[in-house]
Amino acid sequence: MSRDKLWWYLALPQLLLDEQLSLQSEIQRQQPQVLCRSDGQRARTVVQANTAARHAGVKLGMAEVTASTLVPELQQRTYDEQREEQVLQRLAQWLHQDIAQIALYPPQGLLLEVDDLQRLYGDYAGVQRQLARRLARVAVGYQIAAGYSPLVARILAQVPQLSFEPMRAAKSELLEKLRQVPLRFALLPAAQQQQLENVGIQCLGDLLQLPVGELGARFGRAMVAYVAELQGELLPPQRYYRPPLKFSERLDLMTEVASWQQLLFPLRRLLQQLEAFLQSRQLSVVRFTLLAHHRDQSQTPVRIAFALPLWRQREMQQLVQLQLERQQLATPALELSLRADAFQAREVTATSWLPAQQDATAQRAEQQQLQALLGKLQARLGTAAVQQAQAQNDWRPEAAQQWQTDLQTAKAPSQGLPRPLWLLPEPEAIAVHEWQLQWGPERIQTGWWDGEGVLRDYFIAVDALDRQGWIFRSHEEWYLHGWFS
Amino acid sequence: MAHPLQELVHKGWVWQGHDAAEQLASDQLVDTGWPELNRRLGGGWLRGALHELQVQHNFQGELAFLMPVLSAQQKPCLWINPPAQPYWPGLHYQQLQQAPLWLQENDPKRALWAFEQALQSASLGVIVAWLPTVDASAVRRLQQAASRHQQLAFILTPWQQQQEARAYVNRLQLQWQQQQLQVAVVKRRAGWPLPPFPCPVTGHLPERRRRFA
Repeated sequence: MSRDKLWWYLALPQLLLDEQLSLQSEIQRQQPQVLCRSDGQRARTVVQANTAARHAGVKLGMAEVTASTLVPELQQRTYDEQREEQVLQRLAQWLHQDIAQIALYPPQGLLLEVDDLQRLYGDYAGVQRQLARRLARVAVGYQIAAGYSPLVARILAQVPQLSFEPMRAAKSELLEKLRQVPLRFALLPAAQQQQLENVGIQCLGDLLQLPVGELGARFGRAMVAYVAELQGELLPPQRYYRPPLKFSERLDLMTEVASWQQLLFPLRRLLQQLEAFLQSRQLSVVRFTLLAHHRDQSQTPVRIAFALPLWRQREMQQLVQLQLERQQLATPALELSLRADAFQAREVTATSWLPAQQDATAQRAEQQQLQALLGKLQARLGTAAVQQAQAQNDWRPEAAQQWQTDLQTAKAPSQGLPRPLWLLPEPEAIAVHEWQLQWGPERIQTGWWDGEGVLRDYFIAVDALDRQGWIFRSHEEWYLHGWFS
Repeated sequence: MAHPLQELVHKGWVWQGHDAAEQLASDQLVDTGWPELNRRLGGGWLRGALHELQVQHNFQGELAFLMPVLSAQQKPCLWINPPAQPYWPGLHYQQLQQAPLWLQENDPKRALWAFEQALQSASLGVIVAWLPTVDASAVRRLQQAASRHQQLAFILTPWQQQQEARAYVNRLQLQWQQQQLQVAVVKRRAGWPLPPFPCPVTGHLPERRRRFA
């Protein structure tokens, strides 16, 4: 028996509301909540409602006024199709970790081509288990159905009580189900649906009985193509989802949040998304921007940087937490978003069994550990708190080394001259009679080209405490510049 | 009936001096670079330990005193809150192999936090911290971290008049006298304090001219 290729369709009738609920506390979730939309001149109607609202008697399609009269404590928000589409994109990205072929049917559906995945997971049941596991982590309500063509899957997924378990049903079985589907679930344009109803067609079974030629003559080519899709004879090509190469996600916080500390929990979700994003591309990230959005449309950006590339949510969370401890949120935030657009390919860290390479690997591991330590310290204390010296080719003593906040292979100084172990941040004026000159002078005259020219005579001298200092004379003034011990 | 002292020994409240000291492998000791000091400290700096250097004034030779152990490190050393900026050209001239890492944190609590984090990382050579005051519990904590992660660390701190007990493994007092660095051992493993001895650190310093009296 040649089995037909199957498509699955994931219908997410409450996607936006589910998303909002998943960000709320347990108690908040128990409150009746609805999303309403006004279409044209008609009154606003309920389009999505949570369990609490349904239990209280709210039904979809009910006028908002009716619903709020029925349940006085009902929380109403406006349905936003664009926002829901973003959520759908995010969900597609989340599922993209397992499933390569996903087509978006905005605002509430995803078409999955799972045929090839059978080999990976054994059979359709295995694929389904994996899918269920993924979906369980995002707490979204869904209906799923299989179909031998994308259209059939889409139709079956919407019909209440008809979405059924066997995700690998034979074509004949599916066709049987399809025949019973009432016309209002047929996904036809309203005008065509009306036309069919006018001729007494009640369900898809009635439609399928009609000869194709006759259908074409009466209802046009579009109807012929529709019926061909219903029968699986026509499989229109799908536009599959391609994950973006930028990461940009926004989270509704539902309430105003006054400090970064309180944002840590929602942040975990964003970082989870980021991990999924990175995982599916085998990338890692070293910096991104967190944005707190305020009521007046303004934003507070916080740049987060890691000393080493990361991709795991837990590691990122730890470091972000440390960095946020230093931050103050001036005004309360309504939304939080995370943007990342610079990524790095991951490096292989497998250990080698070749002795020469083992050394190199050990060194690399050490370097990474050092990076990790630096990252942690800089996260908590600020980037400038930990620095490493880097030698520069400059004769001016203060310019002969530069402090850098990222680790590089340190350049050794090229000049083999006796120099002090310490340098004062700024030369300090001294009274020269308190010092006893011992060696010198060493004249340093340089830097005339960049306007910071120096002409100094350096001496090694000891002070009253018998400490060896590095002092210089410039324009008849004496300065202390460093210490030798 | 056993001697009452025996009971205390069993409880771990009383140690017997000789068994703690002797079970050290030589790789747990780091050469100080000064033979006389090695002898006094029973072989060198103990790895996985915190050592205290009390200095009378900064820049009186304490860095030269540490140069041998610092320049023996293959890994970079971390300097926490040094009194001035470490000068890499000069340090390199004194054979330091890796450019120093400089951590400056004015808040003492956060500096201690950073110190502890650094002790937990295996990627650093020696850690040297300049801390004006460190209380007993902080020292104990740091000492535990150093011992758990086998790190060698030094705390440089001003001279203390009365010595309160601290969990340092070695406590040395440094003083510049008669053109020499005098090193007194205030506390050491398994031994009595020792009087000052002159440590020849001048090899790491520019040559001095005889002072005109």
